[in-house]
Amino acid sequence: MAEKILEVKDLVVEFKTDRGKITAVNGVNFEVYKGKTLGIVGESGSGKSVTALSIMRLIPNPPGRVTGGEILYRGQNVLDIPLDDMRTIRGNKIAMIFQEPMTSLNPVFTVGNQIEEVLELHQKNLSKQERTDKAIEMLRLVGIPSPEKRVQEYPHQLSGGMRQRVMIAMSLACEPDILIADEPTTALDVTIQAQILELMKKLQDEMGMGIIMITHDLGVVAETCDDVAVMYCGQIVEQADVKTLFGHPRHPYTKGLIESIPSFDSTTGGEKGRLPTIEGMVPSLFELPQGCNFQNRCAFATEKCKGPHGEPKLEAIGSGQMVRCFHPLS
Amino acid sequence: MSLSAYVIRRLFYVIPVILGVCFLIFIIFNVVSPDPTISMLGKHATKAQVLELREALGLNRPLYMQYVDTVKSALTFDFGRSWSTKQEISEMIKQGAIPSITVTFPAFFLSFIISVALSLFVAFYRGGMLDKSIVFVCVALMSISSLVYILVGQWFFAFKLGLFEISGYEEGFPYFIPYVMLPIVITVILGVGPDVRFYRTVMLDEIYQDYVRTARSKGLGEKTIMFKHVLKNAMVSIITYVVLRIPFLILGSLLIESFFGIPGLGGITLKAVNSSDFPVIKAMAVLSGIATIIFNVITDVLYVVVDPRVKLE
Repeated sequence: MAEKILEVKDLVVEFKTDRGKITAVNGVNFEVYKGKTLGIVGESGSGKSVTALSIMRLIPNPPGRVTGGEILYRGQNVLDIPLDDMRTIRGNKIAMIFQEPMTSLNPVFTVGNQIEEVLELHQKNLSKQERTDKAIEMLRLVGIPSPEKRVQEYPHQLSGGMRQRVMIAMSLACEPDILIADEPTTALDVTIQAQILELMKKLQDEMGMGIIMITHDLGVVAETCDDVAVMYCGQIVEQADVKTLFGHPRHPYTKGLIESIPSFDSTTGGEKGRLPTIEGMVPSLFELPQGCNFQNRCAFATEKCKGPHGEPKLEAIGSGQMVRCFHPLS
Repeated sequence: MSLSAYVIRRLFYVIPVILGVCFLIFIIFNVVSPDPTISMLGKHATKAQVLELREALGLNRPLYMQYVDTVKSALTFDFGRSWSTKQEISEMIKQGAIPSITVTFPAFFLSFIISVALSLFVAFYRGGMLDKSIVFVCVALMSISSLVYILVGQWFFAFKLGLFEISGYEEGFPYFIPYVMLPIVITVILGVGPDVRFYRTVMLDEIYQDYVRTARSKGLGEKTIMFKHVLKNAMVSIITYVVLRIPFLILGSLLIESFFGIPGLGGITLKAVNSSDFPVIKAMAVLSGIATIIFNVITDVLYVVVDPRVKLE
């Protein structure tokens, strides 16, 4: 068993809004292991990005606040660390890359400058020349051609894929234990997506960091992840290793997600030639139903799901698979 | 393209703009404005007197020659003589510029530094009580008429407390200081309100950008983020706003100068307007036009320095 580096326990994040308080993340548990990739999948608003940001303690406060649970990084609860000490973890031990490579880099500083900035912050023993050399080396590592030249360029001189490579170079410059990738390929062309994912996989093999891959794209999950947690309305509804999840999904939502992946085999599910979708809409976090949050979109929902027994709990079912459902699929 | 080549090329574009500015001024003063001889000689002047004066003022020359004269005066800064005082106008400008500058430049730099510092501060504590109170004070300062500041300042601080001179001016370095203090303070107060509000908006726009989140995720402190990342991006907008005001500094403030009896260009302009002293007004118009053009070029060049996305093409 690989070394456990991060453990999230019963995480609850609330946001205050004009219409009242909402619980964006509601009792989430997961673990991240060295050299392994955990995928967190869900639709917009399912709480996956908020989960990631709370690990970095980057939830904008106000309006957001972590109101419960623990985030244990190597046994230490990061939620208790003073903010100044947290900054020595950010970018150094836990790094993050974001969805929008176009806007995530500062437009008025060179990419070299921005990579060197992380090194200056966390590796104080390096001289200026060493930092520049390291920045070039990082750019080379992420596959940017002629890095000696690129290091002096500004973000706008690079393509989207190149910028995401720069983001990766920047996040990995201090060789962090954990890399949180929040939809790292969503804004990129499909061909570039594959390259970036491949690059992340390769760097993980070399550097051994644990990755949290946040995405709404099950294709990305299948390609990169070891374990998967499926989120819905701020809760994990199913959790398993990637093979089990795809081979034998137990939650109707997971099954629906997998079926709605376009494939060449048009005979699966639904009318011939039509891509199956999950009917209905995600309920508003302001008006979550009694009982199971997925009941209004679920083909298998019964009276039991509609409230009298409270909401379903995330329960182990089979080896290492967890599902939050009263009627798990067989 | 190198920066110097860019500047030179940009200066070439200035030529047609200056010609255009001169043309507009020429139309206003030489074509559509009423005959100045009437106001100069009065209603009862004889025809011969009028003709003589028109000849002396060069108003009988063909219009295109008068346009050429306008352009020539803009390029040589030789605007002829004032109709009312018979002084060389270029000499008047030289004399008036210094008092104007002693008021406007310190006021400009002070209010720039205060406004940027305050807006960084309020942007840092955005949404809190401090932010709200400062914005409230800014709006209050803006809402009070400038005359109130002038009158209260002159009556209370200068007359009652005797901290400053009430009005007037004395030439030479330390002597002018007591005279310009109050005008400077009032100009700063008048400028800080709108400036802080504008800079605050610019900075708040930047604070919610994705690159700020990236900077936080790198482990940078909020202060470094504000002073390095946010400020440099905000500067792009701030520079336009600030540099385009500099031409007006040279011309001085009409209001402040006339209330405080400062013999600057603002005062000269006001006097010229009152006495229909066309050549002086025209000279001021040309001067402000040219100054605006030049500082526009400077703004463009500064853009290139501050924002790497601006291409030299």
